[in-house]
Amino acid sequence: MSTLEIDAVTKRFGALETLKGVDITLESGEFLVLLGPSGCGKSTLLNIIAGLLEPSGGDIRIDGRSMRKVHPKNRDIAMVFQSYALYPNLSVARNIGFGLEMRKVPKAEREVAIRKAAEILQIEPLLERKPAELSGGQRQRVAIGRALVRDPKVFLFDEPLSNLDAKLRTEMRTELKRLHQKLKATIVYVTHDQVEAMTLATRIAVMREGQVEQIGTPREIYDNPASIYVAGFMGSPPMNLVEGRISDDGTRFQAEGGGCDFPTPANAIGGLTPGRTVIAGFRPEQLFPTPPAEAKAVTMEVEVVEATGAETLVIGHIGEQTIIASVKPDQAPEPGETVRLNFAPGNIRWFDPESGRALPNE
Amino acid sequence: MERRSLAASIFVYGAALVMSLVILAPVVWLFLMSISSSADLSARPLHWWPQEIDLSRYGELVSLVSNSAGEAFLASLRNSLFVSGLATCGALLVAIPSAWAVSRTPRVQWSLYGVIATYMLPPVSLAVPLYMGLAHLGLLNTITGLALVYLTILAPFATWLLKTGFDTIPQEIESAAMIDGARLDQTMRLVTLPLAAPVLATTALFAFLLAWDEFFYALLFTADQRAKTVTVAIADLAGGRVSDYGLIATGGILAALPPVLIGLIMQRAVISGLTTGGVKG
Repeated sequence: MSTLEIDAVTKRFGALETLKGVDITLESGEFLVLLGPSGCGKSTLLNIIAGLLEPSGGDIRIDGRSMRKVHPKNRDIAMVFQSYALYPNLSVARNIGFGLEMRKVPKAEREVAIRKAAEILQIEPLLERKPAELSGGQRQRVAIGRALVRDPKVFLFDEPLSNLDAKLRTEMRTELKRLHQKLKATIVYVTHDQVEAMTLATRIAVMREGQVEQIGTPREIYDNPASIYVAGFMGSPPMNLVEGRISDDGTRFQAEGGGCDFPTPANAIGGLTPGRTVIAGFRPEQLFPTPPAEAKAVTMEVEVVEATGAETLVIGHIGEQTIIASVKPDQAPEPGETVRLNFAPGNIRWFDPESGRALPNE
Repeated sequence: MERRSLAASIFVYGAALVMSLVILAPVVWLFLMSISSSADLSARPLHWWPQEIDLSRYGELVSLVSNSAGEAFLASLRNSLFVSGLATCGALLVAIPSAWAVSRTPRVQWSLYGVIATYMLPPVSLAVPLYMGLAHLGLLNTITGLALVYLTILAPFATWLLKTGFDTIPQEIESAAMIDGARLDQTMRLVTLPLAAPVLATTALFAFLLAWDEFFYALLFTADQRAKTVTVAIADLAGGRVSDYGLIATGGILAALPPVLIGLIMQRAVISGLTTGGVKG
């Protein structure tokens, strides 16, 4: 039996349809990340799971039990909010123990649970303080601790790291991952940060305009994006998308405006018919400079070179279209140069420019 | 602080001085009047600074001798305290739930504007219906009756002020409490109201002052010592054939003391209430 089932959930606010039918099933111990830009409905979906909003249609089931008309406190969930939502007038210990206090857990038992959560999160010395006396990272830990003591069926996280600075965010990310591995908790996590999604999730649901565009493991989503939208959203820098045409004999792909010309893959891709306009997608790190003697796939005129440390991003254009290549720093060209690049053709994703969907492997 | 030219500094301090003079002058004059002798007050040209200090009027007004002016005045002070206190407590009881409801349910915010609209009516237009209503209930010339009338003034005012206060408390905190298993009353008692304490204090103080200073309804709906409030009592001091301006001033000083004391006690809470958006509206 699945821990969490989201079954054809829809939500309307007046004329606005925020969720257009979402189906996701989550097994125990999974870490699901709802990923998408603001306004895609991911926070609405989380609030519906939490019971803070009622769905307009469909149902949420936790451990097989329908959550229709079930009050948030009776759903066996815990939620960590973006703003932490700590009770400023109560001490850290009481903040963490509040859920147990409301559920009439005896004081001694409560204190043991608070100690244990504080120990896991390394906030024991802070227990007597008020939230105002804590740093952002510490407040975040308290908010997580408050969810932890409850030992719920499902943890809900609403962009919990977005108020932290970059360094702390990376630290807390690792911490969350460690926590998940240790507690084997079932987690639904909302974010617009694709790096967070990639690092934390066991599965990612990429959302777009109230629907799930693609759901899968981080690897699947990164390597085989189901649409141009997902391809553009995942990865930083994002996947290169080059529009072009399959040659009349069906053996080569030629970019619009030139600069990119390579044989179509040997394994059959449905829809790579002669003369058809398609979009070829390839990751910046798949490109590598090739010596003049060898065959090239891409001829790029370099405009900007950005050193990021471990790798160097080369931004330029082929014909009219802009692409990015990620190369080793010692291979980096100079701006204004023309470079020859090649890649393994098997790693190319093909998209239909009209529907935006990936062409199926046959 | 940014650099400022000498002229600008003089202007700023000058403006502050004028402002404090405008605010303080009447109060200072009131106090001086209350301690001046009648001779000083009726002298021509007027003696702005008393030649002798006369505190007898304070003794006259703070007196427990039966049938004295003092007894009547103290009774009116007590009436004012009860009426204002009762009306303020009632207003908070009504305003807290309604302000919270309006703040958390934007759909019904129009209703608050309806309430405010009734607030715009001049008191005189309501005088007759209120009089008839009180007479019907047998509440004319009673503390309860007057407090009830004041409640109709204070409740909309308090609701408006508290609503802007509740607006500043993030709803997520209440959602968190709800998920944590708190009932609505627990959420209010343990989370929302403690966070709203500064706004509550500000609202209570302003509501109290509003009731304390009210004159028109008090004059209409009270007749004698059983319910007459201090504003009416002071007016009575001016009602005789010979008005002792010093006595009126003394009444004013004494009437100002209770609100000032309450204000001082709640000072810290009120100031933080004023600065955290308590009176945005």
